[in-house]
Amino acid sequence: MRGVATKYERDNIDTDVIIPGTYLKVHDHAELARHAMEGIDPDFHSRMEGRSILVAGRNFGCGSSREHAPIALAGCGVRAVLAPSFARIFYRNCVDGAYLLPVEVGQEAYESISDGDELEVDMAARRVRNLTRGEEHEIAPVPEIISGIIEAGGLFRYRVPE
Amino acid sequence: MTGDGAPRTLFGKVWDAHTVDTRDDGAALLYIDRHLVHEVTSPQAFEGLRQSGRRVRRPGLTTATMDHNVPTGDRSLPMADDTSAAQMRALERNCAEFGIELHGMGSASQGIVHVIGPELGLTLPGSTIVCGDSHTATHGAFGALAMGIGTSEVEHVLATQALWLERPEEMLVRMDGSLGSSRAITPKDAILSVIREIGPAGARGAAIEYAGSAISEMSMEGRMTVCNMSIEAGARAGMVAPDEKTFAHVRGRPRTPRNIDALVESWRETLFTDAGAERDREHAIDVSRIAPQVSWGTDPGMTCDITEAIPTPAEFSRGDESRRAAAERALEYIGLEAGTPMEDVRPDRVFVGSCTNARLGDLREAAAAVRGRRVADGVRAMVVPGSQEVKRLAEAEGLDRDFVGAGFEWRESGCSMCLGMNEDVLGPGERCASTSNRNFEGRQGARGRTHLMSPVMAAAAAIAGHLVDVRGWELAEAV
Repeated sequence: MRGVATKYERDNIDTDVIIPGTYLKVHDHAELARHAMEGIDPDFHSRMEGRSILVAGRNFGCGSSREHAPIALAGCGVRAVLAPSFARIFYRNCVDGAYLLPVEVGQEAYESISDGDELEVDMAARRVRNLTRGEEHEIAPVPEIISGIIEAGGLFRYRVPE
Repeated sequence: MTGDGAPRTLFGKVWDAHTVDTRDDGAALLYIDRHLVHEVTSPQAFEGLRQSGRRVRRPGLTTATMDHNVPTGDRSLPMADDTSAAQMRALERNCAEFGIELHGMGSASQGIVHVIGPELGLTLPGSTIVCGDSHTATHGAFGALAMGIGTSEVEHVLATQALWLERPEEMLVRMDGSLGSSRAITPKDAILSVIREIGPAGARGAAIEYAGSAISEMSMEGRMTVCNMSIEAGARAGMVAPDEKTFAHVRGRPRTPRNIDALVESWRETLFTDAGAERDREHAIDVSRIAPQVSWGTDPGMTCDITEAIPTPAEFSRGDESRRAAAERALEYIGLEAGTPMEDVRPDRVFVGSCTNARLGDLREAAAAVRGRRVADGVRAMVVPGSQEVKRLAEAEGLDRDFVGAGFEWRESGCSMCLGMNEDVLGPGERCASTSNRNFEGRQGARGRTHLMSPVMAAAAAIAGHLVDVRGWELAEAV
């Protein structure tokens, strides 16, 4: 996949920031999307127009198990989040529901990407290409079970290989 | 699978015993012994079952309660919040349709999911427990492998009673020394100290086992507080090997298994880490040296001693630019300057509650600081018991009279102001001394400011009108 990145230089972006608790009663995905990242950027929804990749610091998605977090981000057009590390429940929620792709990259790769850069994420080759800067970065190895769920298109479509 | 007699950890034994199938990378399809369900993370899961024509595989192993958005005021009144009411009605409907036991709002056994599990005797040593809530590690205090999961996984467990999981790394957190008998230093201070040292990602993805003299000495409630906050260090689970205190707690509960004697016998023989078993990581603290802990920032790692001043971003950074920037943002959000003594911080609100610190022992600790005293002018203080059972037991001891007499509100059980889903929220800019688990931005209400601490410290802050070192206080004797 290919897209333009929006970047927040910040570690530990938690799920209360991604979607505050008060909206956990909301089931309408479009409504959830309008409040995504509200805590740090009230204009997030409009900032993602024409963009599809979110880049953020270490331990992205820490805190609550709310699956509303990847749903709200996906509702804003986010198809991949690039970060040096992810909180585990958030990571699993992203792939289990096939909402978006959590992509683990090195700290240097994270630092080298700027807001507005055009990126190409190639999971098969485990490479992120920064088309704006002409740079290429490695994606951290993905556990077999996770890549299986990603390829299947979610937890419910995953079948144990023969 | 380890079948060659190699030494195994407590975690490894529970993991292996529940493994249905494995992958080459160590991932396992794990059988789930107990699935706890609440109103907020389950509606879409039940809807998914309905749409795919699936049933709940083992309704008898599934238990539901309402906690996240229940009102904690007068429950004889109609609910003011229509969307919360709709979510609660949906859970009632789903439990009725799929044959699941529900401890709903009018029930004498309603309460926070992580309080009622152990209370009812549903939380058993050596079992696997999941719940669509990140604080599920609480149940690990009993030697269970308990993990928070998302809603897709809730649906998967409802449908299959099993879950594919990556095998986590293992981490030993040793709490040496003793918290002492003063009641001023608590298990909350011990776990906050650990998170302060290792940070909010210090145990990311790991299964922690807590051990050491301070853990052995700790009550079951204290161990639950410690395990509860494992997620605040990023851990998947937190566990304590069961001992005689654990077995005593499990006996005589409404849902204690009938063959409990045989179970205890087998737990005694198996549920501990073998000598020589290895972990991926290790961290140790001496809790004899710690002071009461209070958070000053916007993640639980931004914590210091009550006797300290707020660190400068440079001090907090440990040379890491990202930590320095985080501290700067946190100070701006929290509305305090570096160098401010923590004892000068004045809360508008005090919240004693949450799955971290709303059990009977927590309320006793808090009451010891308020008995015969008055809440300071300008402070609104509330106690939200963790369950109806906790509330009933506390009232039987007269703790409610201590709190109400001092000017606290004594409310009905639920998650309440820990996450601000019901009416119990901070207003913009309001500052709260809170016994909950997260001081994230907006956690207790948009623009609200949270300082985490123990129940006795929060109660003392309500009385003093500012955060205060409770070690200098005369604490009332237990009734």
